[in-house]
Order: sequence, then C-alpha cells, then structure tokens
Amino acid sequence: MERFLFMVDELSTWTGKAFAWCILILTLTTSYEVFSRYMFGMPTSWAFDASYILYGTLFMMAGPYALSRNGHVRGDFLYRAWPPRRQAFMDLVLYILFFFPGMIALAYAGYDFAKMSWVMQEHSAASPDGPPVYHFKTIIPIVGVLMVLQGIVEVIRCVICLRTGAWPQRLHDVEELEKILIDEAEQRKQAEMRKAEVTGIARGDI
Amino acid sequence: MLGLGNPELGVLMLALFVVFIMFGFPIAFTLMALGVFFGYSALGDLVWPLLVQRTYSVMTNDVLISIPLFVFMGYIIERANILDRLFRSLQLAAGPMPGALAIATLATCAIFATATGIIGACVTLMGLLALPAMLRAGYDVKLSTGVICAGGCLGILIPPSVMLILYGATAGVSVVKLYAGALLPGIMLATLYMIYTMVMALLNPSLAPKLPDEERNVPLTKIVWGLATSFLPLAALIFAALGSIVAGLATPSEAAAMGALGALVLAAAYRSLTFTKLKESVYLTARTTAMVCWLFVGSFLFSAVFAYLGGHEPIEQFVKYMDLSPLGFLILAQIIIFILGWPLEWTEIIIIFMPIFLPLLQAFNIDPLFFGLLVALNIQTSFLSPPVAMAPFYLKGVAPAHVSINQIFQGVLPYVFLVILSMVLLYTFPQIGLFLPNYLYP
Repeated sequence: MERFLFMVDELSTWTGKAFAWCILILTLTTSYEVFSRYMFGMPTSWAFDASYILYGTLFMMAGPYALSRNGHVRGDFLYRAWPPRRQAFMDLVLYILFFFPGMIALAYAGYDFAKMSWVMQEHSAASPDGPPVYHFKTIIPIVGVLMVLQGIVEVIRCVICLRTGAWPQRLHDVEELEKILIDEAEQRKQAEMRKAEVTGIARGDI
Repeated sequence: MLGLGNPELGVLMLALFVVFIMFGFPIAFTLMALGVFFGYSALGDLVWPLLVQRTYSVMTNDVLISIPLFVFMGYIIERANILDRLFRSLQLAAGPMPGALAIATLATCAIFATATGIIGACVTLMGLLALPAMLRAGYDVKLSTGVICAGGCLGILIPPSVMLILYGATAGVSVVKLYAGALLPGIMLATLYMIYTMVMALLNPSLAPKLPDEERNVPLTKIVWGLATSFLPLAALIFAALGSIVAGLATPSEAAAMGALGALVLAAAYRSLTFTKLKESVYLTARTTAMVCWLFVGSFLFSAVFAYLGGHEPIEQFVKYMDLSPLGFLILAQIIIFILGWPLEWTEIIIIFMPIFLPLLQAFNIDPLFFGLLVALNIQTSFLSPPVAMAPFYLKGVAPAHVSINQIFQGVLPYVFLVILSMVLLYTFPQIGLFLPNYLYP
C-alpha cells in the first residue's frame, strides 16, 4: 500500500517537475521574441502560440504535483485549528463528493474534446501558420487521469490519518522560503529552551 | 430541481459555495464540483463540453501567461541574496532621518516586495534582518513589527503585481491600464506609511531612538556606492519591466519574461545563481502557478454556470431594493471585501467574489478600473487584519520569543487605518488613480 502511495506521488512529482521547466523555456522564447522585434526588426510568427502552449502545459501538468504537496489553496481559517482526524474526515467526504466527480468529468469530456481535435488535425487559429494544437488539447484528459490517481492517494492518506490520528509523511521537496525560515526559527527557539533547561538543571535551578 | 427557478438555483449554488469554503477543502475543486453539479441540472450533457471549454480557455488565456513569469522572477530575486545589501545601504542612506531604521525598513520592503511580489518571503526575511536591528537600536516593538508587516504587503499593490493581473483577467479590464492606475496610489500609500512613521518618531523619540553618530555620518561615497550596487539594479529592473508595459513597448507577459531574464542576470551578477536555486525556483513557480490557475479553471466554470442560471438577477434585485446611491453601493462593496479579507486570502476574493460584484458596477455606473484600484488598496488590509492576517503570523514565526502576536497586531493597526485613509483619498480625488491611465491612453 505504501509503495503504491509513493509510486503515485513520484509520478505526479516527476511529471510536475519535468514540465515545470517550461517556465525557463517560456522566459527565453518570449525574451527572444522581444529582442527579435526590437533588435532585428523581425517579430517571430511562433512566439505567441509557443507562449500559451508552454504556460498551459506548465500549470496543467503541475496540478497533480501541487495536489501531492497539498498545495491547492484552502479557505482554512477553521480547518487549520481542527485536530487531524476531523480534517481527514472532512477531506475524505469531500474528495469523494466533490473531487472525483469533477476530475472524472474533466478526463471524460477532455477525451472527446481531444479526440475531435485529432480527427480534424486542428491547427491554431491565432497565427497564420498556426502550429497543431491536438497534442496540447490531449493534456486535458491526461491531467484528468493523473488528478484522479493522485486523488486516490490523497483519500488513502485521509484513511491512514483517520486510523492513526496523524497525517502520514509526504515526500521531501523544496519548500517556500517563509516556511523554511519559520521552521528554522522554531528549531532555534526549542534548542535555546533545551539549553536553558540543561544549564538550569546543572545550576540546580530546576 | 427542488422546484426552484434557475436564478434561485444560482443563488443556492453561491450559498453552498460559501458554506463549503468553511470546510477547508481546496477551493478550486469545490468550485469545479459545484459548477458540474449545477451545470448538469440546468444544461444536462452540455455541461461536459462547457467544462472542457472553460478549462481550455484558461490554458490559452493570454493575460494569465504573465503570472508564472512574474512569479518566477520573484522566486529568483528572493533567492539572489540581495535583501541584506539593500537594507544596509538604505539604512545608511536614511541615517539622519527620524526613525531611520523604520524608514529604511519600509523602503526596503516596498522595493523588494514589488520586485518579488511574494509577501511571506519579504516579511520573514525582514523579520530576521531588520527586526533584530531595530530592537537592538531600542525601537518600540509595535512600531518595528508594524512597519515590517505593512511594508511587506506593498508588493501586491505596487505594479507590476500579480494581483492586478488576476483582477484584469477576472474583470476584463486592461492590465496595462490597471498598472498605470495603481502606480500613484501605491506610491501614495508607501509615502503615507513613511510620513506617519517619521511623525511618530519625531513626536515620541523614545519609540525610535537616534542611531549612534558613526551610523549617521557615513561618507557620501559609501552611501552612493551602496545604493548603486543594491537599490539601483533592482529599481532599474522594476522600472524597465513596468515602463515597457506602460509605454506600450511590450505586453505584460513579454515584460514579465524580460523581468525574469533580468532577475536571472542580476542573480548571476550577485554570484548567487546556482543550479539548486534555479531548480527550487522553477519547481516553486510550477506549484504556485498551478494553485492560481486551477483556481481559475474552477471559477471560470462556476461563473459560467452562475451566469447561465442568472444568479445575478436576485442579487441585483436585492441591491436595487436597498435603493443605494452609487457612493452607498461603493462603500458597501468595499466593506464586504474588507470583511471577506478577515477569513479569506486575496486570490479567493479576487477570483471568486469579484465576478459577483462586476455586473452591479454597471448598474451603478462605476468604472471597473477605478473599482479595481480601490479593491487593490482594500486587499492590503486582508494581510494585516486578524484572524487570518498572514503578515503578522509570518513575522511572529521568526520574531524573538518575547514579541507577542498581540503586540504585532497593535503595531499593524495604525497602518490599517492608513490604508483606509488612502482609500478615502483615492475616492475623493479619483485623479490620483485615473490621471495616468487617462493621460497615457486617452
């Protein structure tokens, strides 16, 4: 069971991280377009199509990755204060009631949407020699399936938490700077308290 | 369904959403699910293509492209080890002023937060850097924490900010005009913060004691060199990105890409562009972008179904029944947004609740651009006011143990009033916000 959990986590993380590099390509191609326009007086014909394809691929493919990091924003002013078991129970119910219907619908309807595009061999209408967009549209059903898989893993996490009363560990990954700094500050404070305790015991205060 | 007419279903959908948001489930998926359920009840099988179309329209939205680029630029600058230099050089430059350290903190926050657009990073970094410096110099705890929180939040107001892109995409207002419009109100708010802080330091010098002489009389060359190597590059980067947008030389996404490239060059110049840092920035950008854009996927479907059901009609009728003047409506709307800011974050307020206000703006003949500027100011309070106030909690997380969260809230309070004052000023003199966009794009 644990192996399945981490396997899906790895899949989502790997996909998300691989496509995350789209941002670097997007930065470079868009900058190149600006240079090309002003320095060489030649706007490119592909930059606009490239930009939304890179951006769309980036955020869609990062969806399951963000889910595996619990990175989708919650209105958590009540949730945060709840004990883990209540959080897990609520999440479990809402994953089944809300998450799966939405994502299965996305995968199912996305499949038809992409299939139609492949049949028509659809090309972008945004520029004269528009590139094909059927690969791009195929991302929707793929992401739908990945989201469903990651959702199953999140449901299992909820069940584990309901049983043990604590949220299971997630894979280690890079964190936001404020979280790192706050965690470090917390550890420093605890270390100081321990030190004070030790010296207190040594001096016979405690 | 349930014997309700469509508009009532729309209102029910909205009400259910407000209830379910409290349960803490990821908002993007709540929006999607409610959109699918209510869409199916009204449209039948047509809801499936609608769902995919709305998703695809987020994927091809040319306004939203700039979000990952600005976010990426922010993460690179955040990791470029620039903040220390910036703070030290501004501190030397502010030496002779009353409340020098607090002024330097505000200026550092304003420029760093503007360049990064990331509140948490600015507040925590300054909490570790400026707060100990101010406390050592004998500054009042409330004043010191207040300036860090207030200054750190300016980044979402002063362009180029991601919030204005979200508002532009939601309200269909040109991001370029929003940037031109928000510039002066943003500078006005930062100036108000500084004036207030200086006046407090003058009235009660014990709040912010003078720095020792050797820190006040620094040779001018040293100050200039310090500013030239820290303040100037960052200011130039912001100015270039913003200037090219406002001057119409580049679209917001092009300027954002150039900004990100500039940030990479800057980080390389500071010898802090390692592969690890680049990788971290890339991954964090992907997660943040996914979070914001999936929220759009959910809300595009939700608002399409809401509009199809005609959920606006009962709300509009209700507001008309209240027989408000345009000013009355404006004040009511701002109060609602102010209160929404207590439990919710700005992304949710902008992406989810703005579409509900927007049709009403037309009825009251209020310019959505002007409304957006007021909202942008108003949202500042959502970071500062309890219970969700992110800025004070981030600061509490890194502050010395003796600084209590209540002290921070008390310190922040005057700055919340300054935000409200700036809103009143903007309403009374709309030219503060509308002069630049009207002048540049007549």
